[in-house]
Amino acid sequence: MIAIWSVASITFKEGIKNRVIFGIFIIALLLFAATTVVTTLFMRDIVKVAVDLSLSTVSFSGLLTLLFVGVNLFGKDLDKRTIYMVISRPISRSEYLIGKFFGLVMLSLTVVVFLGILSALPVIISKNFYYYSEARFNWLIFFLAVVYIFVKLAVVSSVITLFASLTSNSFIALVLSLVTYIIGQSTESVRLLLASQVEKIEVSPVVSYMVDAAYYIFPNFSAFDLKTQAAHGLSISPSYILWTGLYAVFYITVAVAIGTLAFRRREFP
Amino acid sequence: MRSLVISILLISFAVIGNVFALNAVSLEREKLRKEEGISLVMPSAVARIAALEFKGIFADIIFSRAMTYYGGKLIRKEEMTGEEWDWIYKNMALATDLDNYFLDPYYFGAMNLSWGANKVKEANALLEKAVKYRDWDWTIPFYLGFNHFYFLQDNEKASFYLMESAKREISGSLIATLAARLAYQGRRTENAVIFLEEILKKTDDNTIRNSYEMRLNTLKGIFFLEKAVAVYQDRFKKQTEGLDELVAKGIITAIPKDPYGGKFYIDKDGSIKTTSEMR
Repeated sequence: MIAIWSVASITFKEGIKNRVIFGIFIIALLLFAATTVVTTLFMRDIVKVAVDLSLSTVSFSGLLTLLFVGVNLFGKDLDKRTIYMVISRPISRSEYLIGKFFGLVMLSLTVVVFLGILSALPVIISKNFYYYSEARFNWLIFFLAVVYIFVKLAVVSSVITLFASLTSNSFIALVLSLVTYIIGQSTESVRLLLASQVEKIEVSPVVSYMVDAAYYIFPNFSAFDLKTQAAHGLSISPSYILWTGLYAVFYITVAVAIGTLAFRRREFP
Repeated sequence: MRSLVISILLISFAVIGNVFALNAVSLEREKLRKEEGISLVMPSAVARIAALEFKGIFADIIFSRAMTYYGGKLIRKEEMTGEEWDWIYKNMALATDLDNYFLDPYYFGAMNLSWGANKVKEANALLEKAVKYRDWDWTIPFYLGFNHFYFLQDNEKASFYLMESAKREISGSLIATLAARLAYQGRRTENAVIFLEEILKKTDDNTIRNSYEMRLNTLKGIFFLEKAVAVYQDRFKKQTEGLDELVAKGIITAIPKDPYGGKFYIDKDGSIKTTSEMR
């Protein structure tokens, strides 16, 4: 336990010191500033536009942090051969990998907390600027959506952990994680499209089996996307929170467990 | 020293050349845009997949692009063609497919398509979608009711949507009264009676209750007479001469009183009216 914690805190400190993080924060701040200007171009639902833009900024920044800083945190130890220093110590390989994963989770938590609080600012400004009486907005759901951005990033962290332990190169891990993110975001929509049959597309059974398989293999990131609900103050049932939470925990467990299995058998050059 | 001078000269030459070229480029782009006109609209299913988790922003962009296009036309005082209105409609449909609850495309599309383009069918299609998703917003069924009343002269449908609107509205009494009046004019007196009874259950304000009750009693009287006229026509196979004949033939015992102080009569078109006109 102590070993996991020390690896996690070292990973976190290494990540937060990275200059890329400052760049990402500056981009996020600029996007927040732009939000207040852009919302004035809309007619009535301007709080919705503000919520869309600020929550997307939080999500996008978290994703950039994980993909450009998080992936490198794994690669560094291997590329610079510092991994020998670690594995010669009284710490198991599994502990090392789980620690790395929690380091990434802490990194994404920091980004989400910091930017999540800041993301309320453009919303407050646009809300004071104009609030249409038939618009619906609820701070509780807004912050729930922020929490779900963190949950999504935790799942992305587990995916990065998995690929970093499977591949020898951090660039390949980055590409695989990015592809997984894109597929995970779209499986639900593709599945719905095939199920609806409105578009009158001939779908062979093989394709629909493949889509079903992809739906179960890749994480369904749409489940963690509550931006629309936050933008329109739509209520979310406790069972939704329960099941999506459990789904995230199970997915993370599977991904990290497979990662540790692969990492234990791995030979270092 | 010489190489520094050459570098500076080269850089300044390139900077000036860059500015000139960019000006020419923007002119060329302008020509290209004119020839391009309006572009194709992405199918909703594809857009939903391509937008990943940024569907909301995609909807914002698509909406504002169409709005800017329309605004540009308006500023240049150019007429919108039918094709361009279709494009506007498709964009609004796409934006609302990406975010089903987004008010602006519904509102912008419905207003401009009905008033500007005379495409009431498309405007109503957008509003019907909005009624389904924005199920708390009283303004949407109100606009839809208005379109049915004003553009399509369909009082029955208009009253249906106004009733829906009145059910959603938390305060105020105007829409409920209007809905009841339209239902009565659309020869749907029973609907008006049922609707007002339902609205009364939800109204606490005494002044508003009184005004509803007065209208409800009048409509009940009209509905009672309508039924009596139907019975008369069924029994004697001819039109009634007047309401007194219903009493004389024993179909009803007395003509109900109009709470507004008017008198009920049968109009030329056969409908029951009152001299007070419920005012």
